[in-house]
Amino acid sequence: MNRYFLYLVFLNMLINVIIFVPKILIEHRYNGSVMGVLIAIPIGIGMNYLYSHSLNKFPGQGLPEILADSKHRWLVNLHLGSIQILWFSAGLITLLGFIDILSRFVNPEMPKLFLITIYLAAIFLIIQLPTKRVMYFLEIVLFLNTPLIGFIIYKTLTSEFLSWDSILEVGTHLFEKPSLKAMAAATYTFSGFTNLIIFNRVIKEKLKIWNFIIILFLGVFNLFTTFFIPIGFHGSDGAQEYLYPWISTSDSLRLVYSPIERVLYIFLMFYMSISLMSISIHWHVAFELLKGTFKEKENNKKNWMIMAAFMCCAIAGVLFLNTVLLNKITAYWMILLLGVEVMTVSIFFIWARRRTA
Amino acid sequence: MPSNKVQSIKEELKEKIMQSEDAVFKELHTKEKYIEALYIKTISDETVIQDYVVKPFFEIATAETFLAYLQSHPKVKPFESEEQTLEELIRGVAVLFYQDFIFIFDSKVDRNNSVLDTTVETTIQGPQSGLSESLPTNLGLIRHRYPETTLNVESTTIGEISKTKVMILHDEKLVDQDVLRRVKEFLDEVDIQMFQTGEQLLDLIKKSNRALFPVMLVTERPDRVAVNLAAGKVVLLVSGSSFAVILPTVMKDFMASMEDIYQTYWVSIFLQVLRYVGFVTSLILPGLYVAVTSYNPELFRFQLALSIAGSRSAVPYPSFVEVVIMLFMMELLTEASIRLPKAIGPTATTVGGLILGQAATEAGLVSNIMIIIVSAVAISNFVVPINAFSFSVRIVKYIILALATCFGLVGVVLGFFMFLAYMVKLDSFGQPFLTLVQTKSTKE
Repeated sequence: MNRYFLYLVFLNMLINVIIFVPKILIEHRYNGSVMGVLIAIPIGIGMNYLYSHSLNKFPGQGLPEILADSKHRWLVNLHLGSIQILWFSAGLITLLGFIDILSRFVNPEMPKLFLITIYLAAIFLIIQLPTKRVMYFLEIVLFLNTPLIGFIIYKTLTSEFLSWDSILEVGTHLFEKPSLKAMAAATYTFSGFTNLIIFNRVIKEKLKIWNFIIILFLGVFNLFTTFFIPIGFHGSDGAQEYLYPWISTSDSLRLVYSPIERVLYIFLMFYMSISLMSISIHWHVAFELLKGTFKEKENNKKNWMIMAAFMCCAIAGVLFLNTVLLNKITAYWMILLLGVEVMTVSIFFIWARRRTA
Repeated sequence: MPSNKVQSIKEELKEKIMQSEDAVFKELHTKEKYIEALYIKTISDETVIQDYVVKPFFEIATAETFLAYLQSHPKVKPFESEEQTLEELIRGVAVLFYQDFIFIFDSKVDRNNSVLDTTVETTIQGPQSGLSESLPTNLGLIRHRYPETTLNVESTTIGEISKTKVMILHDEKLVDQDVLRRVKEFLDEVDIQMFQTGEQLLDLIKKSNRALFPVMLVTERPDRVAVNLAAGKVVLLVSGSSFAVILPTVMKDFMASMEDIYQTYWVSIFLQVLRYVGFVTSLILPGLYVAVTSYNPELFRFQLALSIAGSRSAVPYPSFVEVVIMLFMMELLTEASIRLPKAIGPTATTVGGLILGQAATEAGLVSNIMIIIVSAVAISNFVVPINAFSFSVRIVKYIILALATCFGLVGVVLGFFMFLAYMVKLDSFGQPFLTLVQTKSTKE
């Protein structure tokens, strides 16, 4: 199904608000963000195209199945292992970030450790589903939430408090030397395609070119909103004062006639499900890869052990990481992710060409 | 004289059946011939025996002609085996011993063959009659509505003691063979002593016997059966039950009323949307109330928040206690109104709903807004057209309420999505439960 690919990429575009992308971009707005974003767009689209193109040669198969008969077992394990650690940490950062947001904006009196339990319960319920069902669920969640996203974006763009001058002012810093951090953060927007490692199982036919065209437009629009709308609301200098620029932006909006007056709550309720889905997708990939790494037969005990390990990491993360530290780590993690992505995509592209040639 | 074999079979059958009072063994004599009949009078139709056996016996003179008459009669089957005969005997046939022959004469009485009015799934327009409690009548009703040569009927028995006859109906041309295989496998595996009605299958489908959601639809409407047959589904008819079971069923079918077909396009769309909104309302409203009053009163605009807080000012305990008390009362009221005789029913609802609600508010036990919420939940719960499903929904709202009590707004939202995830996990004979677009649409 062609649209499934689009969902995966689109989900990553939505979630970048939680995973500090706007914060990183705004931090470097005077020194290289704009150029970084502009460079990130072709890189992101290119990687999307190359990777899905080469995976498309193995319709209906995930990476573990494709590599199952490889002779270099340790190489395969290293490959799968590095991706799964990276993808697990992607979910983890989203989770920690969102728990932090929840405890700041929704439940300030509740201990984070308590708050994370319900998230973990929901996530573990979802990641154990078969891949196809996870995809169905993603479709349902996006179907329920897309109208809300559209509405909020419409509200921000038509708001009288959006200062286009500030946006233009930041736009004049176009020709700065691009900053690596900002570029890596911006490519994260496009990196939903890596989920295909597992989710290629549900994509049986060839991906059509319109997918990439839609991704290009969505990506450009998404980067624009992520980066510029907070600047438009808080001013080019004021925007950096906030830990979560987008959440504060949504709090500056007001629905005059709605029973829920503050957009913040609509926004957060919508992100509760989106982040749940994003974490679950990432962890489902990690979970399935981990199951694929060990060749033994599947059993329940092992699945529970993997989930216990996930849980321990999440709890340790909640206990030891604070927002600022998480933010700093994420910035470097993004660079690492970009590097690994470029490597994975190019290695796999070459390998797949040789394999099928 | 009859041969020894027939004699021994006769003796054995008599021995096995004659200890009950309603078993009848009758001998008829004329000059040339004599016949013996064995049947159970409470489940056999004696007038049928009178009309088709006794009268001709005395009217037809020669023995040979009467034998020819018996052999050519459509209600008469030849003897096959002793066990089978015994089986049929306790279902109401008469066994005839004539000369060297044993015949099985179908004299089953069909007591509950009157067609009932629909009482559970009522509609304003469209057919008003439901199924009857008799299997042949039901099959006839369905065949009448579904005149297709491809309609395939098989039968099987379920239940160790009850040996209930179950008919499996499907359209050979439209049915998904994989689903049909799964249904048959499932029916073979059913292990139960007394099988009375199709609803019992709802629980048996889960190995653990603890299903939260029904994955098959139990209906009393022949028109719904016919429409579903046309959609390629499998239908089970259970002997003695005026309900048919439709498999596989997904959520869309539970939310569909037959009325959708009998209304114009936009009306039926409107009704569908209304039902889904009601469904979601009854699920999350109690939880949302707890989350909003106890965790995030700032969610609503402040006039609304103030009026909610104001109406709660006299209430001496936390919001979740209030909700639990009122929901409990409402459940009691719903339960009671099912049990009560029809004449007292309205009184109970008036006393319970109006007076209790009013008094509880004035006494300061619950807030005004709580009363509104509880009634909204109760009403919207019954918007779901299929009863089995709306009962499940009744339970789920408590889970969401519990999560809301512990986690606030996060609990409501995540609870709702966990519920969705659970439904995504479910499937009905290979069909995902939340399928919206089926390959073969229910609406023609």
